[in-house]
Amino acid sequence: MLDLEGVSVAIAGAPVLRGVTLHVPAGGRVALIGRNGAGKTTSLRTLMGLLAPSAGRVLIGGEDAARLPAHHRARLGIGYAPEDRRLFGGFSVRENMVLPAEVLGLTGAEIRRRLDLVFGLLPELVTLAPRRAGGLSGGQGKMVALGRALMVGVRAVMLDEPFQGLAPALALRYAEALKRLRDALPELAILITESNPELLRPLVEATFVIERGEIA
Amino acid sequence: MITWFDENGLLLGLALLDGLAYAALVFMVSVGLNLVFGVLRVLNVAHGSFYAIGAYAAASLGGMAGLPVWASLPVLLLAAVLVGLVLGPVIERILLRRIYAEEPVIQLLVTFALFMILEDAQKLVWGVQPVSNDVAVRWLGTVDVPFAGDVIPFTKYQLFLLPGVALATLVGLAWFLRRTLTGRVIVAVTVDREAATAMGIDAKKVFLLTFTAGAVLAALGGALASPTTSLVPGIGAQTIVLSFAVIATAGLGQIEGAALTALLIGLGRSVAVYFAPELEVVVPYIIMVAVLLVRPQGLFGAAEARRV
Repeated sequence: MLDLEGVSVAIAGAPVLRGVTLHVPAGGRVALIGRNGAGKTTSLRTLMGLLAPSAGRVLIGGEDAARLPAHHRARLGIGYAPEDRRLFGGFSVRENMVLPAEVLGLTGAEIRRRLDLVFGLLPELVTLAPRRAGGLSGGQGKMVALGRALMVGVRAVMLDEPFQGLAPALALRYAEALKRLRDALPELAILITESNPELLRPLVEATFVIERGEIA
Repeated sequence: MITWFDENGLLLGLALLDGLAYAALVFMVSVGLNLVFGVLRVLNVAHGSFYAIGAYAAASLGGMAGLPVWASLPVLLLAAVLVGLVLGPVIERILLRRIYAEEPVIQLLVTFALFMILEDAQKLVWGVQPVSNDVAVRWLGTVDVPFAGDVIPFTKYQLFLLPGVALATLVGLAWFLRRTLTGRVIVAVTVDREAATAMGIDAKKVFLLTFTAGAVLAALGGALASPTTSLVPGIGAQTIVLSFAVIATAGLGQIEGAALTALLIGLGRSVAVYFAPELEVVVPYIIMVAVLLVRPQGLFGAAEARRV
């Protein structure tokens, strides 16, 4: 579903990824583990088409993504929750979630169906929905970013360090939400990054470890 | 006893009316500049050229023989839309698209070069002699504005039409950005281009659309200004510098803020014109510096979003 094949990426001339190969099968749950600066976020941004590789291939759903514009990822059913949440602060939580679905041109009925599905999986979002996204706490924001990614991510979602900076109680709730996700949407592929390998062990089937831009 | 107000009251009234009309024009230009800078992150010096070309085009189009007098108003709008729709997409596609990834200083140099090219192009087309066409102002006539027990005859065009169009633009734009999908998409790209792209938004399309809209707004500002003044080389430069002052004072991304700041700077400049003409040029910048000393993010600039 999501593949990097020998991908190298440089940011501002400095190599960040060196020949990274990574495979997330359809419906698979995969962890990408590494320290800060190891290349986790860069791997996800490269999969999203936000960075161009200098070598290697990016495959989305088995297709070479070299000519696929970054914004077409959403159309292919790929959702992305960036590490720093990147919500649109002036919009309400609900508007944040609905925006990508509206951009895709989904019908009102389909948008409501997806919203109900996401609210069912992440009940915290129901009460947050009318609130301004800019006023949320970091933990709440992570939950909203996950919900927003799920609105278009029907085939795969990429979650960048969702547990980073979460209070223990919230981290537990987030992990429970991921378990519900696994049960409710078995066909959904999930790629999660994290620095602590223990945390994700019960949630994933495969783990890649990245160190200094290389898969260990 | 004769007070200051008895001697200068009418002058003050005239300064306020003039300032209001002037602020309306400044708003039209600076709101477009603000929008374009917010989305493209390029400070477009050539934005002032759209104002100048819009003004000249409106004067030329309105001066065509056989045009009925009532058409003098729609012609202003037509000229602005034509100028914006032609120049905006061409410049965005051919020039700006190549410099989005460049350093801000390169972007500034490129748009400054474009500004100078367009400035010379204006001289080639319209010459250096003053051009004027005030049919629209004369057609609408004047109204007596009561002020401090006296009356000030003032043109309806400047009293009603200019502030009216500015107000309609303000309300319309705010509604568009908040209530329509295209508007929310523009806001999303302004806030976070990468996140917007990940949400499926084609940022390139949004750049083209926004730049064109900004060009139309600037050209409309120029077209609306054209019946009130003589057009001479240099009006584009004057406008862009003033617009920079407005968006720096207002802070980024605030439409209502840009409107209030345009009013503040427009009135400030106009009062200076009547009471301290030697200060006319510096008053907008005195206001800007005073505001930025106290609030570096601008009067209405957003504070940093909460991170944790």
